[in-house]
Amino acid sequence: MSWYNFKYQYLVRFWLPVPAVIAAGILSAFYFGVTGTFWAVTGEFTRWGGHILQWLGLDVSHWGYFQVIGLQGSPLTRIDGVMILGMFAGCFSAALWANNVKLRLPQHRIRVFQAIVGGIIAGFGARLAMGCNLAAFFTGIPQFSLHAWFFAIATAIGSLAGAKVSLLPVFRIPVQLQKVSAAQPLNQHATRERQHFCIGMLLFIAFVLWAASKALDEPKLGYAALFGLAFGLIIERAQVCFTSAFRDLWITGRTQMAKAIIAGMAVGTIGVYSYVQLGMDSKIFWAGPNAVIGGLLFGFGIVLAGGCETGWMYRAVEGQVHFWLVGLGNIIGSTLLALVWDDLAPLLVVNFDKINLLKTFGPQGGLLATYIMLGVFLALVLYWEKYFFARKARQASQTA
Amino acid sequence: MKSTTIIPDFRLDMIGEPCPYPAVATLEAMPQLRPGQILEVISDCPQSINNIPIDARNHGYEVLEIQQDGPTIRYLIRR
Repeated sequence: MSWYNFKYQYLVRFWLPVPAVIAAGILSAFYFGVTGTFWAVTGEFTRWGGHILQWLGLDVSHWGYFQVIGLQGSPLTRIDGVMILGMFAGCFSAALWANNVKLRLPQHRIRVFQAIVGGIIAGFGARLAMGCNLAAFFTGIPQFSLHAWFFAIATAIGSLAGAKVSLLPVFRIPVQLQKVSAAQPLNQHATRERQHFCIGMLLFIAFVLWAASKALDEPKLGYAALFGLAFGLIIERAQVCFTSAFRDLWITGRTQMAKAIIAGMAVGTIGVYSYVQLGMDSKIFWAGPNAVIGGLLFGFGIVLAGGCETGWMYRAVEGQVHFWLVGLGNIIGSTLLALVWDDLAPLLVVNFDKINLLKTFGPQGGLLATYIMLGVFLALVLYWEKYFFARKARQASQTA
Repeated sequence: MKSTTIIPDFRLDMIGEPCPYPAVATLEAMPQLRPGQILEVISDCPQSINNIPIDARNHGYEVLEIQQDGPTIRYLIRR
């Protein structure tokens, strides 16, 4: 294969989402084995909020939430911190390679509202549940934590409400169907293509070198940064969108991303299980009302905003200003949750058990239960797809 | 710059709109075409690559061409 073909096939064209999400599932299991923690982002976003409050002169050291998630060090000295840096570097490199960086300004005021409000609701909900689409779903379910199942089901319900609201007339900008007689010439900024590709390569190589040198001193931080880079490449190149996995079940009946994510969790599960069998502790959180309420809010918020906590990361570096606002909203929302945590926690969170399915059902039973539930999820998705298009066909035959 | 030899009958310009709106607008526009007519959808939402083509096929339309070598993506869909 020539360099030109390689570049076009793998660095410019989008990747297929199904293999990409499965790759992310495999990598996330190794990430757990190597770093001892799971692939997660919102906890770190909340710490950024905490640091900002500290810069503003507020003492947040006595806030219970920061005692739970820790606020020691800086993003450069924390596993989550360097991993997220890697994700941004990976997303940005990938977007630059494909000439996919362009400042895209919001075209309507209502979208600005959606981005900020949806982002705040999603950020608040995610942290209430102790995780987002990753820690309380994609990487939480493979940790055998019951809270992730509560969160996943609640997120699906929340996303249904979000889908209904997002399609209300107030959020619909009327679009005109234009009669045309020729295709529109696309200005793909060909001169920028080469330049952006080179910048992307430089960034990628520089980050790999930095992470590799970090790995010599502090192996976990270095490896976390490299894993982050790989996660970033995957989510941008394949446009992995957890929001669409839920939302588009309801809106257009599309199930591809939902199936991909279930497959990704299935491979992640056996990977994490193997490490637990070797003696590692999985990450378990409270299976309380917080996971359900958090999931409902999160599901609603991500659909209103148009993207979740990983979704805004790659879209932001592609130059989609809408998602800068979603990211800002996420940080505000998660910091607000930290603010009210000490009042909510006794009621909704800490008096409930942290349930580890591997302990409740035993190692074999917990693994089996997880796969049975993933199977049920898949069956529900397949059933919904059939039902959705059968209903559509009925409606079409009635109107015809 | 590559262009297309396919001549569309209608265009939907979704520049600047985030998901799911480009896909939703596409599905709403298609029934307004006569069978055999072609819609050109222009979107700069990269995520649309994972939804417009699949949704169009799922809903019974034919995706003729996808041009995706820059920030703006063109979809040509036949009713």
